[in-house]
Amino acid sequence: MTNGSKGDAPENGAPDPREKEALERRLEGLGQRLDKIRSEEAAKAEAEEDARIHSRGMAYGLRMASELVGAVLVGGLIGFGLDTLLGTVPWFFLFFFVLGLIAGIRNVIRGFERLQAEIAAKTRGDIGTDIRNSDDDD
Amino acid sequence: MASTHNGAEGGMPDPIHQFEIKRLLPLELFGLDASFTNSALYMIITVAVTFGFLMYATRGRSLVPSRIQSLAEIAYEFIAKMVRDSAGKAGMQFFPLVFTLFMFILIANMISMVPGSFTVMSHIGVTAALALLVFATVIISGLIKHGFGFLKLFVPSGVPIYVLPLVSLIEIVSFLSRPVSHSVRLFANMLAGHITLKVFGGFAVMLIGSGTYAALTPLPVFMAIAITALEFLVSFLQAYVFAMLTCMYLNDALHPSH
Repeated sequence: MTNGSKGDAPENGAPDPREKEALERRLEGLGQRLDKIRSEEAAKAEAEEDARIHSRGMAYGLRMASELVGAVLVGGLIGFGLDTLLGTVPWFFLFFFVLGLIAGIRNVIRGFERLQAEIAAKTRGDIGTDIRNSDDDD
Repeated sequence: MASTHNGAEGGMPDPIHQFEIKRLLPLELFGLDASFTNSALYMIITVAVTFGFLMYATRGRSLVPSRIQSLAEIAYEFIAKMVRDSAGKAGMQFFPLVFTLFMFILIANMISMVPGSFTVMSHIGVTAALALLVFATVIISGLIKHGFGFLKLFVPSGVPIYVLPLVSLIEIVSFLSRPVSHSVRLFANMLAGHITLKVFGGFAVMLIGSGTYAALTPLPVFMAIAITALEFLVSFLQAYVFAMLTCMYLNDALHPSH
């Protein structure tokens, strides 16, 4: 009844509503498929991002232990060296050992702040929302 | 831990043996032992593989990269992004250093995963040399760029004057500890990983020749396989961490005040 100029089959008007329906169904199906692909892609990207953050977390963990130990070691060595040079065993050693410990803890805290800032920049301030397993739901 | 335990048992392959330095071409220069060793040989292999890979990958220089060319491009972009992110645009002048270090460590670690090969990065002498190279680069370029302003690195802003000497000492200790943690991390991870691999491999060999207990052989074999996968990850992560810390330290040379 309605004019066929809009549809794909302008030659006769009778099958128009049915064809329109079929077209709509096709469109809907297409939209669904597109949505599915889109969500799959998004999930994949998210999983990749998660994996990146996880490996970054692992790299961070590997770093921090040696950061702490290294500072204590160096502090102790400096103190021990000064002591043997000046003959003041064990005072410089004790002093620099504690300094090394403080420096090590500072290193760890600083490293953590940096990581936190990085994550915050990536998640627009929502710390904790982006770090999750890929099998978590949203 | 397992390595000391197995030392008491006879017939097990020695897990430390793989790290032994052997002189291939004995040579003495000015009273110093400058022999060509198996470590040196594997370093040369590493450089040759890196060079060969990058040259071969970029020979076509096509706009649409081939598979191997995109591999080289990924490596380049990965490091370039890392340098830009952590040391800023000005950090790109150090890109050649960071990229060289990353590729050298990565390829050396990957080659060390080939059974029977030598693990270059399992010696603290090698990793300490790399870490000291970075350390010296930071100090020298920092002093050239900022002169005495570089010493602002040890004087954090906003600290009351009466605790400043203490805080400065802490900063100095922290600065001096960098090459230590930088080198120990890489060396210790590679050493421990390869010892663990060898120990589990050794368990499998021991079990298979032990009569009734041979039925248990699959256990250490599965462990060895799992640890092999983990070691590949660690090999990459260590190269990544080393390069990233290099960038962060170079950032201090470029922008000493924090």
